[in-house]
Amino acid sequence: MNRARILIVDDELIMRESLAGWLLRDGHEVQTASSGEEALDKIKEIRFDILLVDIKMEGMSGLDVLKRVKDDDPDVAIVMITAFGAISTAIEAIKNGAFDYLLKPFDPQELGVLIEKIQESQAQAIENLYLREQYKERTRFESLIGQSPVMQKIFDLIQNVAPTNSTVLITGETGTGKGLAAKAIHSNSPRCHGPFVIVNCGAIPEHLMESELFGHQKGAFTDAKFTKKGRLEMAHGGTLFLDEIGEISMRMQIDLLRVLEDRIFYRVGGTQPMEADFRVIAATNRDLHEAIKDGIFREDLYYRLNVFSFKMPSLGERKEDIPLLAEHFLHRFSNETNKQIDNISREAMDEMMLYEWPGNIRELENAIERAVVVSKKRKILPEDLPIFRPEDICVSSDNTLAGIEKAHITRVLHENDWNISKTAKELGIDRSTLYSKIRRYKIVQRDL
Amino acid sequence: MNIYPEHSIVISPIGNFDPEITEPVQKEINRIFGFPALIIPILEDVDFALDSGRNQYHSTSILKQLEKSAPSFAMKVIAITKVDLFIPILTHVYGEAQLGGKACVVSTYRLKDQISAANPGVIFKQRIVKEAVHELGHTFNLRHCKEHACIMHYCRTELDVDRKSDQLCRYCKILLDDEIKRLRKSGMEKKPC
Repeated sequence: MNRARILIVDDELIMRESLAGWLLRDGHEVQTASSGEEALDKIKEIRFDILLVDIKMEGMSGLDVLKRVKDDDPDVAIVMITAFGAISTAIEAIKNGAFDYLLKPFDPQELGVLIEKIQESQAQAIENLYLREQYKERTRFESLIGQSPVMQKIFDLIQNVAPTNSTVLITGETGTGKGLAAKAIHSNSPRCHGPFVIVNCGAIPEHLMESELFGHQKGAFTDAKFTKKGRLEMAHGGTLFLDEIGEISMRMQIDLLRVLEDRIFYRVGGTQPMEADFRVIAATNRDLHEAIKDGIFREDLYYRLNVFSFKMPSLGERKEDIPLLAEHFLHRFSNETNKQIDNISREAMDEMMLYEWPGNIRELENAIERAVVVSKKRKILPEDLPIFRPEDICVSSDNTLAGIEKAHITRVLHENDWNISKTAKELGIDRSTLYSKIRRYKIVQRDL
Repeated sequence: MNIYPEHSIVISPIGNFDPEITEPVQKEINRIFGFPALIIPILEDVDFALDSGRNQYHSTSILKQLEKSAPSFAMKVIAITKVDLFIPILTHVYGEAQLGGKACVVSTYRLKDQISAANPGVIFKQRIVKEAVHELGHTFNLRHCKEHACIMHYCRTELDVDRKSDQLCRYCKILLDDEIKRLRKSGMEKKPC
């Protein structure tokens, strides 16, 4: 069974502690909350896979917690815990989206089976999502784009490491193009004519992972009707890309380490040692140092993977690439949708330069795709963008954040005699962002 | 002067236990964990943990008492009891352990159920040994293992206990070695007084 992140919500300390202890020994990551309010606070900070919620609590009831959580995140599985005699409320909870309910005290067997059932259904949902994403990825992100100094550095690193056979670890936030960087390393390596095999460690359920990576012999388990090659074998002569390596279970970490050390593995149910020649590139958005400290990632595997590593910059760190990327996506989506949209208005570009893009390039790509779909003109306007918030632009002389920002920029510009480079340096932003802010706030020299 | 070896695992039978039961437990614990295992009764009874409403014994209270009463040379301590154990949220437990901690307890109460007519004594003994090693494994930070044959596999029924082997799988062996290395590095946690 995989490690699930579970939150126990119960106002009785003894119930919380006994259930938490049991689930910890079962290998899960567990937190507790003594009230519905505390649970909602924790959920703001951490994403849990499963919530075990007592129906009857002081203050906010379990049913209220269920409704609030489901409103924000319908994918969280919520199991209601109830005493005998409150079954009607439990049934109401099921109608409101609870996965199931347990009558306390419950048989440990019942709890174990239920958690496994939830994990299977969640793994299935993730796998479906991954398959859909994979389909989309085939048509998107065909190349790495960027003129910013930080991206130029990345290109240099890729050029240097590609011809070697070294294992590479790519880190960086979600949506920064780690997969593209891995593909670029493969394409520029002597293995470029070999396969580039992707394993999304976060999307493949653990019980399928072993057979997915190592393959299986016919009859190895109930559904193994044929002998199947694993992805390690498929990657022979090419590159194995282990995406989301930080999500891999401790057991698979042990197996992977052995493969990386000996280059020998066994198919599930097989006794014959198999050998494959592949290069490994791994990627993660997780802080692996933290994961090692938390005891959920093996230090020896980390050093085995971290032969050469680099971090993909977030879009916020390479804002000067936004116009180039936006134009690239505009061109692609207008072709795909057969809509003639020639360019992006200066105001829309300003909005994009000012926005923080927490979802990085993937978010930018989605924003342009949407803008192309909704645009009624031959030009993308700010209102076509999902990030556009006209209320943010209202600048007044009061103490709004925007007002203070305008006043501060104006003052620094004045102090630097409108020297844009000096002002941008002093403000800690790049020149293009400063120009965008000047236009956005309509700052002119007479404001001084 | 302390006559017992440092960093021992103490097996504490609660009530009368035939050496035919405690000795195989001692032998297996020594074989699997590699530390000296000693049979020393620590708690006379567990009446303090009785929940009269449920007529069962609260295993967490037993662990707390066991930890408090453990001798200074005990690195880990395991109690074996004949009473039926529970934790408040569950109907029963076969045993309980402090994950990565010092104490654990195993109950023989339900291990007599569903026993086959052939060699009942031998099977009962094997079950106790397996469950004792399993609970002690938790104190070495091992969690439940999905390998059905591994001794750390969580058994839903007594028959599952019979089906699993008396060995750790290779994953759990590695994780146990890691934990023992970590313990040695940190001076076996609490130094004996």
